[in-house]
Amino acid sequence: MNIRELMVVALASIRSSKLRSFLTTLGIVIGIAAVISVVAIGQGGKAMLMQELEKFGTNLFVVYVNYQEGETSRPSDLQVSDITLIKNVVPEVKYMAPVCYTQMKLRGSQGQKTVQLLGTSADLVHVNNLEIAQGRFLNEEDESAGRQVIVIQEDTAKELFGSEKPLGQRVVIGSTSSMVVGVLKQDTSVLNDNSRQSAYITMSLMRNMTGWTYIHQIYGSATSKEAVDTAMERTKSILERRHNAPGHYEARSMEQEMQSANKILGIVGLVIGLIAGISLLVGGIGVMNIMLVSVTERTREIGIRMALGARRQDILIQFLFESIVLCLMGGIIGTILGYGGAYVVAKIAHWPPLVSWWTIVIAFLFSAGVGLFFGLYPANQAARLKPIEALRRE
Amino acid sequence: MIAINDLQKTYDTGSITVEALRGLSFNINKGEFVAIMGASGSGKSTLMNLLGLLDVASAGTYILNQTEVSALEEKDFARIRNKEIGFVFQTFNLLPHLTALHNVELPMMYAGVKLAARRERATLLLERMGLIDRMHHYPNELSGGQNQRVAIARSLANNPAIILADEPTGALDSHTSLEVMDIFQQLNLDGTTIIVVTHEENIAQHAGRILRLSDGLLIMDDIVQEPLDAGQALSSLRKEAGSI
Ligand SMILES: Nc1ncnc2c1ncn2[C@@H]1O[C@H](COP(=O)(O)OP(=O)(O)OP(=O)(O)O)[C@@H](O)[C@H]1O
Ligand SMILES: [Mg+2]
Repeated sequence: MNIRELMVVALASIRSSKLRSFLTTLGIVIGIAAVISVVAIGQGGKAMLMQELEKFGTNLFVVYVNYQEGETSRPSDLQVSDITLIKNVVPEVKYMAPVCYTQMKLRGSQGQKTVQLLGTSADLVHVNNLEIAQGRFLNEEDESAGRQVIVIQEDTAKELFGSEKPLGQRVVIGSTSSMVVGVLKQDTSVLNDNSRQSAYITMSLMRNMTGWTYIHQIYGSATSKEAVDTAMERTKSILERRHNAPGHYEARSMEQEMQSANKILGIVGLVIGLIAGISLLVGGIGVMNIMLVSVTERTREIGIRMALGARRQDILIQFLFESIVLCLMGGIIGTILGYGGAYVVAKIAHWPPLVSWWTIVIAFLFSAGVGLFFGLYPANQAARLKPIEALRRE
Repeated sequence: MIAINDLQKTYDTGSITVEALRGLSFNINKGEFVAIMGASGSGKSTLMNLLGLLDVASAGTYILNQTEVSALEEKDFARIRNKEIGFVFQTFNLLPHLTALHNVELPMMYAGVKLAARRERATLLLERMGLIDRMHHYPNELSGGQNQRVAIARSLANNPAIILADEPTGALDSHTSLEVMDIFQQLNLDGTTIIVVTHEENIAQHAGRILRLSDGLLIMDDIVQEPLDAGQALSSLRKEAGSI
């Protein structure tokens, strides 16, 4: 018998008891649907996350001080002069910006808003891929001339100035006042908590406001993805030598962040895969059970087929094929349901469901595999029947 | 063609053992038409199952086409059942979820005959059985006689040398029984060896030879001097029906 004939025989048998076939394969349907929907949501989320992380620039790295316990004097504090030096001696570093953070209340002509205020330099616009909506970002002269200027985000601008044009307006921070020279596009990334707005001022202004003589972190951007590790290592070793503080600096790249995000997603996927695997196992046992019943019920048919010349292997393959087709049908229905479910969830969560073709291939192979594995025993029982005993059975 | 020597079959059912065949010896030549008779429980079906390689003997030898059957493997059994032997059963044994046509195709499917060739032959056989307008019907949509003709068509699918029929007319009325015997006689004329188990003396009289079993032994092996002609009986019946 060729595949087509086996298919016809299997389908005829499945069709002859539709409801039972459906109930039998329900375990597989649910298992596969669970896998597909979770994978679809997971892959969609992952793709989205990666896309967002990539927006920050894959060449990005961050250097920060790993303060030791009980440390009183802090010779290892990062300085703006460190950055000037590193940019001069490490060719792999393309851009490098200092960052200091603080929470501040900004007041404008129409309202006020508490934002995360960052002291930084002109390079940050490149390092973080910031998009300018109006005006410009901070520049070198702002820093050297000690200009009282600020760059804010679109949403902040609306809160502070309403419908007025923000450029050239004054923002009051505590007792000082700065002029708005630039407005950044609102970041729509899901990773960004949009209720938290950022505003950017020069390092010197920050120092005046807070009295801080050090910087919190250094944001760097390497010349290429491949150069990130070297750039990080060299930056660290310069800092260690300059401050005579080996082991005091940590650096992480966006690449590493992506990898660890990937790893977490991988573990989540594994756990879900395990649960799905268990449900498929249960489904498979259901299939085996029904196939055994089917073999018993169809003993006479088996006897007749044997009397007509079916070899044991013909009977074995017939029942195996039936079990595989049954599971595969469950797999197909499950895939459709799973994708539908993922689509609904994704619609609500605002990210695209993503099912790669190999997920579907694996789902199909897996359900066929379940059919094969759990069909083997019943099919073997069928093939082992003695023709005369099978024929005599009512 | 068939040579049997001291064939025995013992059923071991745990508590008791039944000696169904207690040493049978006979030969059947190619082209013979043999009827097997005997009381219920005398071992007729047991003998047919052994002849058809559906079961194996407990002792003795069975030589089929110059081959000692006990030397064969299971897959040879399947091949012989498929190609050399055609079975006709009392209860037809058609697959209920297959149409007449597909039932007739089954043995050819196991023989590896291509779909088109198989369909053609199955159609031809059903036509010969006068069932051309019923070939897409399922067994439960056909009468007993029609079902038995489908079963005969199926037994002929791979053009076997031997037809084994265990009480083929047992479930049929006398007229349909005659029709079945007519078909067998015609097949026999074409050279097919036919072995029929029956209870009815007048059915047995259509054969050329009658083997009588009793209690697992062969008690009589008679040549029928003038076998009845089922075809003639049928046409005279038809004439009678026409004259009324
Ligand atoms: N599978 C079996 N297990 C045990 N005993 C069996 C089995 N099959 C047949 N027998 C016994 O073997 C003997 C012969 O049985 P068999 O079926 O060959 O008789 P038969 O001549 O065909 O009878 P009938 O005319 O009623 O069909 C009987 O005594 C029967 O009870
Ligand atoms: Mg019998």
